[in-house]
Formats: sequence, C-alpha cells, structure tokens
Amino acid sequence: MRRRAPLTRTRIAVAAGLAMILAAAGCTDPADPDATPAPPPPTATTTQAAPGTAACDARASLRPTGALPAPGKMPAGGYLAAIQKRGRLVVGTSQDSPLFSSRNPFTGRVEGFDIDMGRLIAAAIFGDPEKLQIKVIPHADRTAVLTGEDGQPDVVDLVINTMTANCARWQEVDFSTVYLETGQKLLVAKDSEVDGLEDLAKQKVCAAVGSTSLQNLENAAPDPVPVARNGWGECLVAFQQNEVAAISTDDTILAGLAAQDPFAKVVGRRFTEEPYAVAVSKKHPDLTRFVNAVLERSRRDGTWKTIYDRWLGTLGPAPQPPAARYR
Amino acid sequence: MTTALAQRPVEGGRGVLRRVGQLRHTSPGRLQLLLVVLLVLGALTGLVAGVTAQSAAGGTADLRDRAQPLLAEAETVYSALAEADTIAAQAFLAGGLEPQELTRRYEQRLAQATTALTAASRRTPEGSAAAEAVHALAAGTTRYAALVATARGANRQGLPVGASYLTTASELNQQTLQPQAQALFQFASRELDAGYEQARSSWWLILLLVLVVALTLALVGTQIYLSHATRRTFNVPLVAATGLTVLLVAATGVLFALQRDHLRAADEDGSAPVTALAERRILALRERASEALTLAARAGDDAHEDDFQAAQARLTFDDRELLTEAALMHQARARHDAYLRLHEKVRELDDNGDYDAAVKLAVGREATDAFTALTDTLDQALTARRAIFEAEIQHAGRGLGALTLLAPLLALTVCVLAALGLRARLEEYR
Repeated sequence: MRRRAPLTRTRIAVAAGLAMILAAAGCTDPADPDATPAPPPPTATTTQAAPGTAACDARASLRPTGALPAPGKMPAGGYLAAIQKRGRLVVGTSQDSPLFSSRNPFTGRVEGFDIDMGRLIAAAIFGDPEKLQIKVIPHADRTAVLTGEDGQPDVVDLVINTMTANCARWQEVDFSTVYLETGQKLLVAKDSEVDGLEDLAKQKVCAAVGSTSLQNLENAAPDPVPVARNGWGECLVAFQQNEVAAISTDDTILAGLAAQDPFAKVVGRRFTEEPYAVAVSKKHPDLTRFVNAVLERSRRDGTWKTIYDRWLGTLGPAPQPPAARYR
Repeated sequence: MTTALAQRPVEGGRGVLRRVGQLRHTSPGRLQLLLVVLLVLGALTGLVAGVTAQSAAGGTADLRDRAQPLLAEAETVYSALAEADTIAAQAFLAGGLEPQELTRRYEQRLAQATTALTAASRRTPEGSAAAEAVHALAAGTTRYAALVATARGANRQGLPVGASYLTTASELNQQTLQPQAQALFQFASRELDAGYEQARSSWWLILLLVLVVALTLALVGTQIYLSHATRRTFNVPLVAATGLTVLLVAATGVLFALQRDHLRAADEDGSAPVTALAERRILALRERASEALTLAARAGDDAHEDDFQAAQARLTFDDRELLTEAALMHQARARHDAYLRLHEKVRELDDNGDYDAAVKLAVGREATDAFTALTDTLDQALTARRAIFEAEIQHAGRGLGALTLLAPLLALTVCVLAALGLRARLEEYR
C-alpha cells in the first residue's frame, strides 16, 4: 500500500508567513537610547545613529527641485516617468497597524494615515489616488524591498509603514522629510495602576516581532518580560486573552488598539521618539525629492491636517505638521 | 548434601528419558510411542488451527470495525480542519460579514471534525501517542472554534482586531492542529497495515502447515508400519483419521485462500485507493487554502504560492492505486485543470496590481464551483472505494468463525480415531 507522506510540512512555514505578513507592523526604532523622557519639540532634536554608525540628521532629507510637475506629466527619463508608464504606484506597508494601514473589516480595503500618504503621492503622479497598489511586506524586509538586491527590480516604489527614519536605515535607503512625530508608550488594562515601564518588572509586555519596540523592551530596566507576537493586532488578542499585562509601542499605534477595546488605556510618557518618514530607494533621488514636494504642499494647503484629524483626531487636535528639514 | 539434592531430579529426568527410549525396542512400546506422537500432533494441530482461524477472524473484524474506520476518521479530522481554515481565509477575503454559505460550510466541517474525534477516541488505545493526539485535537479544536467565534464577534462590530483573532486561529490550526491530525492519520495508516498483517495471520498459518504435514506424515507412517508389522493392510480408524486430516487441510486451505484473496482486494481496490484519494483531497484543499492565503497576505507571489505549487506538483491522478477509478480520475484531472486555469488568472490579476478583481475571482462563484466540482469527483471516488472495501472485508471474514470451532473438533476426532486404531493393536499384546 502507498503510505501517506507528510502533507503539512510547509504549512507551518506558511502559517508563520501569513501571520508575519498579516501582521507586518508599525515599527519603531529607538531614536536615541539616551533620549530625555519628555518629548522634545519635534524639529529640535537630532536623531542619533546606532553606535558604530556615523552620526547624522535622520530628519533631514533631499530638497525638492522646483515646482511639482502636473499630474500625468512626469519629467521624461526619470523614475517618475517609469511609474507613470506602469500606471500604478506600488507601496509596501502592513495591513494590521490600526489607524495607519489596516484592513477595514466592512470593505476589506486597507486604509489609514500611511495609506492616505500613499494616495496623496499617487494623486500627484496620476491625478488619481486610486492608482495605488498596496503590497504587504514582511516587517524585517522593509529596507530590502527597496534595495533591489541581486539585480532584481524593486518590489515596491515606496515603503510607508509607521517607519522610523534613523541613521542606520539611512545607510540603506533614503527617507522623505518627517510626516509624523511619535514615541513609545504603554497600553494597559483600564483598572491597572501601571504608569510606566518601571511598574512592569517581571510582567509580560507584548510587541510585534522584529520591531524595535520589542528591542526597547528587551533593553529596558527593570526587566519586563517581552512577548513577541506577529503584529499589533495579535498583541491585542494576547492582551484580551490575558496572556500579557501590557502592550508597548508608538502611542499612535496604541491609540488604534485602545479604540478597539473599551477596557484598555494608554499610559505613561513617551520614552522614545520615532519620526515617521517615507522610505525610498537610494537609486531614485528624483522620487524622494518629488515625495518631499508633495509632503511640503500637504503641510501648506491643510491636507496633512485633514488626514491627521481623520485618523488621529482621537489623540486631540492636530499639532503643527513636522517642519521639513533638508540636507 | 546440596549437590546431591540438586542432582537427584536430573537423574530422575534421565531415567524417564531412558525408559521412553527403551520403549522403541519392543513392539508394544513402539505402538505406544506412535500413539503419543499422533495424539500430541493431533491436539497441537487442533489448537493451532483454532487459534489461526480465531486470529484471522479477529484481525479481519478489527480491520473492518477499527483500523479502516479510524483511518477514515483521521482523514475526516484532517481535511475538515484544513477546509475550516480555507473557509476562514476566504471569509476574511470576502470582507464585510461572512457569506452565509461559507459560515454554513464552516459549521458543518467543524461538526464533522468533532464527531470524528469522538469516534476516533474510542478506537485509539488509552495512553498511546494517537490517543494523546486525539485528546490534544479535541481541546485544540474547541479553542480554535472559540477564537473564530471571537473573530466573528469583533468583525460584527467592525473592529480590525477580528482579523487578528482569525490569524491567531489560523496559526493554531496550521501549526498545532493540522500536524496533530496528520500524526493521527499516519498512526491510523500504520494501524491499517498492522491490521492487514494480523488478518493474514501468516505465522500461525505456517505453524499450522508444519503441524498438519507432520500429522499427515505420522498418520501415513503409522499405517505403513502397521501394515508391515501386522497382516492387515488397512487400519480403518487410521484411514478415517487421515481422511479427516485431509479434509481439515482442504477446508483451511480453501477458506484462507479466499480470505487472502478478499484481503488483497480490500487492500488494493479499497484501502489503497481510499488513502490515495484522501491524500489528494487534502492536497486540493491545500491548493485552495494557499490561494486564499496568498491574497489575504497581500504580498504577491510569496511562500503561499510556493506552497500552492508544491501541492499542485503532488496532485496527480494517474497513480497505480487510482487505476481502478480511471474514469473518475480522468474527470478529476479535467476539473483540476479547469480550476488551475482560474487560479492562474487570479495570480495574473494580482501580479498586475488588480487586487480587487483577483479577490473577486478567487472567492467568486466560478472558482468556488470549479473547486467544488473537483472535490465532489474525489468524494464520489472515495465513496465508491469505501463501499468496495466494506464488501471485500465482509467476504474475507466469511467462514473463519465456523473454522474456529470446526478445526479443533476435526482434530479431536482425528485423535480419537488414532487412539481407537492403535488401541486395537495394543490389546493384542495384553
């Protein structure tokens, strides 16, 4: 008789892959390990590089050249013309970072602050925000998808994924100017008396696998017990199933989680700073400059504020948009 | 003193052997020896014939009532879990509230899995690895159902965390439950092999053959000796005993030949195709799940699509085991090809950036119908092959119960006849 061969050998890998992809989450990097706990004025600080890499101003990007070209009339020969010829802008992101890029259960569409940023750029290129293809990318691959290794074409044009601009990443990719300033906080149960990481010694705290929120937890003292889940949504599942005492990541992401659970609250001060920016391949400085021009316009004409109010209005009135800095 | 004590029984034993050995020097002694040999061989033959028939009958019944049903249940658990996961991924893709049709099928498959688990728990020996897998599966399935229910609740309220509950459930299903179901399936298939081995009772049959040959030789030898030693050519009771022995050989031979033929048919035309078809159905489900997972992951041709390709490569319809269902397999291949064409279209749409159209095609009526047509064909073949197994195994068990009683009775009669035939000669020396 023929014997059965293992049928599910690859399924485990597949499940892990799915989880990771469904979960690719808002990442945060410690802007500065020695940062002062109070949030400093967003534009006044300089993000330090990880030890060993040259110090840089991670918030400073490439200056736009001249006025924005009209939609559908991208300058010939550049990468923008190639995108226009293809007919869609490909953005790498996640689909379970609430308020930034998460799947709307009613429509099945991915939407949020990050997606609206992508739509702004697509509208500037094509005159149509719908010409946007969303590609969910594994968290750890967010720079690799832009570097086009092994002579392969890039997987995506841009990565807009609650991605912190820092000097280590500047080595591999270019960043746009900063479009949002955030910092890491804690989400705990409504009746909890926890007010900071120091109250969570020996307690389980969840963060997305591969995120630097998780690294921050691992480096924190007194020791919380970091629990890695595949995404922020799964951290919320663990929190609701009483598997962890808290979740820790950028306050903006936590706001999206807390909005789904009336028995949760966000507490503490920002203990890191995370300037979000759009990542672009180093091969396409014209695209980076273009994105910066689009961001510049959105700061000026109030689009940025509209998008902020739409997604992050629960955090309070929209602050001033982060001022652009150029190198 | 101690040595003397230790040696005495040995000397006694030697004494008995010597006395028995001396028997062969006298005619009545030789007759007594022959009688003992015949009685021992007859008794042993009867005993072994009974045990062989008993073992074969028991093995066949076990195959019918335990091993094959256990395999069917393991297959049900495995494929039901795989399909529940596929359905969950499709419901996720469909967006909004789950389509009613999907919900109904999910409930149905989950119910099938739990029912099969209850049945399987009765058929697995307590404390075995299989029993542990069944217990773990029962507990895990409950947790899985709870996670999916929570996902639905959250989805109903429009909370994105519903998708994360679904992911958590899917991980549990794929990383824990399905490997356990697979282990159970493999255990059941080993049990089935062992069941066929036991039903054939080959070692008992060989022993029986040796004994029957020895008994026949002893009977014939005794008669030759008697015809030389006395003036009578035939010893009627011994001739009758020889006849009965031949009858025993014939009955056993015919019954076991028939049993083995039916067992072979049950295996080759029943169990083997059933197993192969079950495997193929799971492979097909895996294709469908991978397709949905690729889209749900929204990452283009990634690991899930590789998984699809791997399943597709192994999903063949022309294997030796499946020749008995050649017509249905021809149909299955055509239907699988039709589904593959749709799948390629889905990938093409997704790869060219038309995600919404790809999702619409993948969860739409056309693809669902194409895939259902494939699984229906496989189900049809499975049902036919299961019926053939049932019929063959029923035939295989026939007559073995009667043989369990008749064989010892025949052997006993042989002993009585041998005793009668030799006693008459022994009387002559009194």
